[in-house]
Amino acid sequence: MDFGLTQEQEDLREQVRAFIAENVSQGLLDEMEGGEEGGRGPEYRELVAKVAEKGWIGISWPKEYGGQSGSRIDQYIVEEEFMRLGIGVGGAGSGAPAILAAGTEEQKEYFIPGMIRGEIIFALGFTEPQAGADLAGLQCRAVRDGDDFVINGQKMYTSAAHYASHIYMMCRTDPDAPRHRGISIFLIPMDTPGITVRPLWTIQSDPPAPMGTTYGMVRTNETFFENVRVPASCMLGEENGGWYVGAMGLNLDRVGASRYLISVRRDEDIVNWVKENDFGGNSPAENPAVRDKLAELWTEANICRLMTMRSMSLVNRGGNFTYEGSAEKVWAPEHGVKTTEAISQILGPYAQLLNGSEEAIEDGLFAHNLMGSFQSGINHGSVQIMRDQMARRGLGMPRG
Amino acid sequence: MDILPSEEEQMLKNVAREFLETEISTAMVREMELDDLGYPPSLWKQMADLGWLGLALPEQYGGQGLPLTYLGLILQEAGRVLAPVPLHSTMVAALTIAEAGSEQQKKDILPAVSDGGMVLTWGIAERDPRLIPEAMTLQATADGDGWVLNGTKMFVDNFVVAQRCLVAARTAAVSESSQGISLFLVDTNGTGVDQTALTTLAKDKQSRVDFKNHWVEASALVGELNQGWPIVEAMLDRATALLCCQMTGAARKDAEMAIEYAKNRVAFGRPIGSFQSVQHMLADMLLHVDGGEMLTFEALWKMDEGLPASVEVSQAKAFCNEKCESVVRTSQVIHGGIGFMMEFDLHLWFRRVTSWTMRLGTTYDHRARIASALLDTPGRVRLGMPLPTAV
Repeated sequence: MDFGLTQEQEDLREQVRAFIAENVSQGLLDEMEGGEEGGRGPEYRELVAKVAEKGWIGISWPKEYGGQSGSRIDQYIVEEEFMRLGIGVGGAGSGAPAILAAGTEEQKEYFIPGMIRGEIIFALGFTEPQAGADLAGLQCRAVRDGDDFVINGQKMYTSAAHYASHIYMMCRTDPDAPRHRGISIFLIPMDTPGITVRPLWTIQSDPPAPMGTTYGMVRTNETFFENVRVPASCMLGEENGGWYVGAMGLNLDRVGASRYLISVRRDEDIVNWVKENDFGGNSPAENPAVRDKLAELWTEANICRLMTMRSMSLVNRGGNFTYEGSAEKVWAPEHGVKTTEAISQILGPYAQLLNGSEEAIEDGLFAHNLMGSFQSGINHGSVQIMRDQMARRGLGMPRG
Repeated sequence: MDILPSEEEQMLKNVAREFLETEISTAMVREMELDDLGYPPSLWKQMADLGWLGLALPEQYGGQGLPLTYLGLILQEAGRVLAPVPLHSTMVAALTIAEAGSEQQKKDILPAVSDGGMVLTWGIAERDPRLIPEAMTLQATADGDGWVLNGTKMFVDNFVVAQRCLVAARTAAVSESSQGISLFLVDTNGTGVDQTALTTLAKDKQSRVDFKNHWVEASALVGELNQGWPIVEAMLDRATALLCCQMTGAARKDAEMAIEYAKNRVAFGRPIGSFQSVQHMLADMLLHVDGGEMLTFEALWKMDEGLPASVEVSQAKAFCNEKCESVVRTSQVIHGGIGFMMEFDLHLWFRRVTSWTMRLGTTYDHRARIASALLDTPGRVRLGMPLPTAV
């Protein structure tokens, strides 16, 4: 057991912090604040290029595809420092783990370096109107036609679809096979004819949530596929084996700095706020009930941190997850909600003030977080589904 | 950074589990509840022969000098089988003597502990059970070459079988330079020392100990006069983290019993473990045991590294108090009626884990300590980074 970072890792963290101080401009932060594109404008792309030059993106990915063949902990350190500013670099949550595990040589050589350069961004095409939690019920069809597949159907909540270069999507390729065995994964350029993206505006859109809000995205999309013809080489992994590729990728993408930080940033924020502010002499930091609650939340936030460290340790040991990724996806979102709701009772009526309002605290962050934190218990596998997985895969419980 | 057990740690854990599960049955646990000593001396001797009693004690006094995390793994396995041995109280006191005792005290005590010839304990809590210097009223008064002790210690673990007991006594009023507390190593059979057994939920051996004009030599003082409180604090932190090891070990075993039961118990024509409501209870039990375990071992690891660990200790205990309790209660719920029949073994775990939640600091006590470190210090906080220190 080793709960500490090495000196080299501490040094890496300092280097990243120094880099951020020097290279992250107010212009970039403004661009991200305003951006419907998840903040991926010109300044962002310039920054990513510089980060890539440092060798800090995809540190744990193999050298032959542009990574560093380094430690997942190192990669995590870089991700955490940038993610604290709301800047996604480093490569987690990208689909890369599944491509590295299941892709052809050609796919790895094409996609991984492109992702490191920030040129390839995936939208995720899993959910459909009639298939959310019950993902294996998806109906979007891909039909083989010679060396091509022709895709017809609809995907929901494809959040990055309006700025992504590609979509990473699950389609039904054998409607006669058992549900889980007739699904394949495709990696498709978004500019393929027949793809239409329609915006869906979230409850965070009016007024737009401030930077750093948990699920502060103002926009997601639904994406329609009408006779979209793609070469068979777009398939990731075996034909009809997509369920298992997807499940593995989800596990690896479920864990990391992003998941961790969206669940615990408010713990830090509220402690720091009550230390530095009060309501005309009435300090919540002196209220015994508030003190007890903040200590409870801080303790549980540390479990979020330790669960993340456990996942990073597991990835470093070869990525043999049984229930740990699912456990993290239960604990962290529920913790985020608990803290967010506790804050509303610590700040009282101030916590209802939205971005741009007179008297708003932290640009309305806490109010917008009340609309966002619960979303993390729904997206990418609900906490109920995650508990099912823990019980069945982790504890061997029979299906109902 | 790799927070999972190393190969060597896993091996130690496996060896400990194999030995303890072979040697200790629930029949023995029940027998020891009624036994005058409360532990089988032959088993204690076997544990000494395995090297466990000296595991974390210094090598020059017959120990092996291994980290506290290793001892924590043993205590976790001991908790798993509810091992009826005075391991926790003896280790806590011995580690304190190793850290703060005089050369003579170390020579007298530590080799004897390592080879199984001496059982130890410690008495800190009084009628006001808070573990703070203000609650220490047992008085030690200078008398010739020694000290006279008067007062009462409460909830002293294994006092009936211990040869020595560490006692925190007031030797001065609180001042600028000290809390006025001194620590003494007391002979449990001395004149003017009386114990009264308490009947506890865990059916373990706890005592109220009354000191009436009990005289000790000057050499019984552990550490410097009036400077005992920092030693006590360090002792309580270690004791608390090691108790959390026992709690998570016992709670995990209890959860495993619920898991097995849910797989086998049929209701409405199917195993109850196939019902989502039961599955989700089990998933939460797993989250809670894992969470307590990670907090606990991070605290022990920090102590081994010589880093401040008081906040980590309090996090572990505050969490285990609530969540290990929740685990053993949920296990009772899953077992239904049979779980609270005397003849069924499950309550043995429930009683002990529940009792341990009240020992060495309540949830509120520990959260108050965490809150103070978070809020009564200058500077901003960030998870995973050291908290600002008090001025």
